[in-house]
Amino acid sequence: MYGKKVTSLLKSINADVMDRVRLSYGKVSLEGEVMPSTEANDPDVLIVKLDSGYNIGIDPGRYKAEKLASKPREIELPAAKLVRNKGLDDVSLIYTGGTIGSRVDYKTGAVHMLTKPEELLYEVPEISDIANVSIIPLLSIMSEDMSYVEWSKMAEAAAKELNGGARGVVFTHGTDIMHYSSAALSFMLRGLNAPVVFTGSQRSPDRGSSDAFMNLVCSLDVAAKSDIAEVGICMHHTSSDTACAFMRGTKVRKMHTSRRDTFRPINDKPIALIEHTGAIRYTSAYAKIDREGGERIKPLTGYDRKVALVKVFPGSDPSIIDFYREKGYNGLILEGTGLGHMPVTPTRKEDSWLPLVRDAVENGMVVGMASQCLYGRVNANVYRNLRLISGAGAIYCEDMTPETALVKLGWLLGNYGKDEARRMLNRNMVGEIKSRTGFDTFLV
Amino acid sequence: MDDDYYRKLGFRCGLEIHQRLDTAEKLFCSCSTEQDSAGIGKVYRMQRAVAGELGTIDKAARFEQGKGRRFEYNLYEDSTCLVDADEEPPHGLNIEALRVVLSLSSAMGMNVMGEIEPMRKNVVDGSDTSAFQRTMLIGFDGSISVNGRKIGIPSICLEEESCGIGRNYGEEIEYNVDRLGIPLIEIATSAEISSPQMAKEVALHIGMLLRLTGRVKRGLGTIRQDVNVSIADGARTELKGFQDVSMLDRFVENEVRRQRELADIAGLLKKAKASVGKAVDVTGVFEDTKAELVRKKLERGGRAVAFSLTGFAGLLGREVNPNRRLGSEISDYARAAGSGGIIHSDEDMAKYGISKEELASLRRKLGMRDGDSFILVAEKAGIAERAAEMARERAQHAIEGVPKETRVAVNDESCTSRFTRPLPGGSRMYPETDVRPIPVDKGMLDEAAKGAPDIGKEKKTLMSQLGDGNTVELLMGSPRLPLYRALSRTEGIDCRLVANVLLQKFTELARNGYRMDGVEDSKLVEIFAAYSRGAITKQAIDELLKAVSREGGLDIRSAITALGLQRITGKELSALISRFKRENKTGDVGQLKKAVMSKHRLNIDGEELNDLLA
Repeated sequence: MYGKKVTSLLKSINADVMDRVRLSYGKVSLEGEVMPSTEANDPDVLIVKLDSGYNIGIDPGRYKAEKLASKPREIELPAAKLVRNKGLDDVSLIYTGGTIGSRVDYKTGAVHMLTKPEELLYEVPEISDIANVSIIPLLSIMSEDMSYVEWSKMAEAAAKELNGGARGVVFTHGTDIMHYSSAALSFMLRGLNAPVVFTGSQRSPDRGSSDAFMNLVCSLDVAAKSDIAEVGICMHHTSSDTACAFMRGTKVRKMHTSRRDTFRPINDKPIALIEHTGAIRYTSAYAKIDREGGERIKPLTGYDRKVALVKVFPGSDPSIIDFYREKGYNGLILEGTGLGHMPVTPTRKEDSWLPLVRDAVENGMVVGMASQCLYGRVNANVYRNLRLISGAGAIYCEDMTPETALVKLGWLLGNYGKDEARRMLNRNMVGEIKSRTGFDTFLV
Repeated sequence: MDDDYYRKLGFRCGLEIHQRLDTAEKLFCSCSTEQDSAGIGKVYRMQRAVAGELGTIDKAARFEQGKGRRFEYNLYEDSTCLVDADEEPPHGLNIEALRVVLSLSSAMGMNVMGEIEPMRKNVVDGSDTSAFQRTMLIGFDGSISVNGRKIGIPSICLEEESCGIGRNYGEEIEYNVDRLGIPLIEIATSAEISSPQMAKEVALHIGMLLRLTGRVKRGLGTIRQDVNVSIADGARTELKGFQDVSMLDRFVENEVRRQRELADIAGLLKKAKASVGKAVDVTGVFEDTKAELVRKKLERGGRAVAFSLTGFAGLLGREVNPNRRLGSEISDYARAAGSGGIIHSDEDMAKYGISKEELASLRRKLGMRDGDSFILVAEKAGIAERAAEMARERAQHAIEGVPKETRVAVNDESCTSRFTRPLPGGSRMYPETDVRPIPVDKGMLDEAAKGAPDIGKEKKTLMSQLGDGNTVELLMGSPRLPLYRALSRTEGIDCRLVANVLLQKFTELARNGYRMDGVEDSKLVEIFAAYSRGAITKQAIDELLKAVSREGGLDIRSAITALGLQRITGKELSALISRFKRENKTGDVGQLKKAVMSKHRLNIDGEELNDLLA
């Protein structure tokens, strides 16, 4: 937003943002369009887009202003033509937001959500050769703003599309919490017999180098051609635009703030690699589509929001558990150190987490233990302290990531209650726990 | 040809000078700006054209996408990071680079922005990993004075250098990412340059100003001059890629000639009611051909595509530049689509081995009438069709006049150029939202004004040091001026000797095959320091230069000993003279001097010897 200085100048010549103006002082004369001021700009600096394309920021006090023309008519993007091809399967592209669904206003630089998802097809026309794509604009939200509220909507939408005849579903999604969403839908879509693919982008599609294009194409390949009956994330396998990896939705995590190949399988291998040409290479075991199975998907979307993820760290104050108890929380996942440790016999006795965990469990809270190492399996037996913690009632969550454990706990509590949650937390349901960890699953 | 001749043609010409800065870090990250030899891997990326700010896909961008190329990027140890690999948002702007641009802005009287707005300029030839170049306008509306003529400088920008190009495999291009992101200054002149000669003078003048900042890189490719040229009957053409600015005037002269010829051809074509036929697949005509060029392509599953031309007879072979014909201009377009070139009917068909029967069949297939011409492309399927379409587009344009193009120098001897891509449209820039706008305050501007390069003042200083106008001019035009300035500050240094070595000696040694471009400045500083403290003679400087040109990392102190270049002076020299007197049994000054110098030429200062013998 512009400050008073610029606003009054614009007002004095009856000009508005996007209007064409001339600014002059002495022999200097500039012409261009008034751009909006963003939160990054000095509000007292007027931003003008010159015909060369450059934006300039000038001190309005020095210039005499004159309005030349009003805002030009907006030019609409030509709509992508969706041509139905009888030889192709139906895939639903459910749009929820995120970088992959944002675009830059090329004049102002403002990033906003796509209001017409067809815009994406306009830039990736080849997707119409892969499947008959229906676009479902479900949400328009950055992933960091999402929660269980959206997960249930997404699960309902996926079930509706698949029950309605779609061969597969692709979600476009912000990347930050995509692995929470993929875990949630893995649990929620009971009776899944089709591929459900989450994809996004780390570079926005306004740039020619965006990863969105290949991610989208490979995701549609999985949805339209693979025989995978699981929820997963399909994003760049490496930094190169050569192949995407399809990774199990409960065993995947965003591991880099900005790289294209940020999503990595944790304690797992990718299910498949998808070449940019469309070839699918399966790389580990997975649930296959049952061609005979005609059952409908029954989304089970309950979720208890009173669950939290608590990180243990040196010097951490265990009374945080009391805080959650007082707030009425029903479940906690502790992100312990190493094999699943927390301070048990510290120098300051009051820093021990043990009595608080015991109290919490005795008072009905479900407490799970995962590891902040991320890679590997927690273990309740190797050290005495581990035995004490599990003895106090903490459930060791095997090789689950802390995020998946959290989502699973919320879902179990929301649908089955505490006893069942306690019983099922460390038992495999949809591939989130593996009884054996392959040697080649570390840092892949 | 004088200014008047060019004025009558409606000659318009402006320059864009790009100069790489010698800052410690890149423009938007902390990588070194030294190009790196330690490769650490590669990434492969595809890039595509995206909708421009008006919702249209930029013409130049779409053209590059039409080529459907994959890019291979080489990454390096010290000079590439995630920012350069398009895997991390940019860091803050390099203020050191901004200061250099501000001081140049001050020297050219530019109006500097109160707040600098970083922008993204779409680039889809793969030379930027991000598919855009970060650039910002720093100042506008300044001027320079060249030989008494005022030339407007409408803009000065600070931007990121692109990747260096490695191998070009046609459908895949290799780029070196070490160069990407080095700060680059772009100075544009107004289009009021009135002759090719003047274009060269302006380029030289701006080069001088840049070097005076003392913060520019030196060596091949570190400064680039792009020239925009048009005549009234022609079209704006951007010429790029000269190796040597001293040839710039001849390139511009040739471009003017090319546009005149093409305008003339367009006139003739219009008169002849010329037209271009549709592209037709003529692979069948050449099924059993003996024409090697065509046969080889078809054997590998390629296609032959041709189209007819009416009213072009004789014109395809007409020369528009030394050794370049209208046919070459059309061929450039087919090449840009990935083909090896075209065959056209103004050429000798026997040369290709195309038979009369094939020719007749081709003519039938294209529905040609007497006097019609044709153009034929034989290439891999896909490329053949695209190349023929590009060639058709260019042939069609020949009837209308001169197309707007970006052209690159092909041959520095004949000073000719070829088409490389259509001239980019205007809708290629949008704000770089990953970087905050940069405020410029009065303190920065005052500091810039103090350090602003001043050609007049510099010439005066040089004159006082060198006392010779000719040497001053040569030095002002030399890329080694910043080095001279650094060396001239060494205590007790002989400035004339430094100038002489940097200007004459370097040229002489380079001519004799020594690789003087690779000699590091720090080595020269050491050599001159050794001379200044009396450790070596003037003659020894030559030997050390030769040695260091062969071995860049040479340790100068050790080399002096190893090559036996220690100066013999004072008592040691007196003793040597006495020994020579005894051994040669002579007191004759001339004979003694000859005898001593013939053995110790590199170790003895002639003047000192004369003094001792006197």
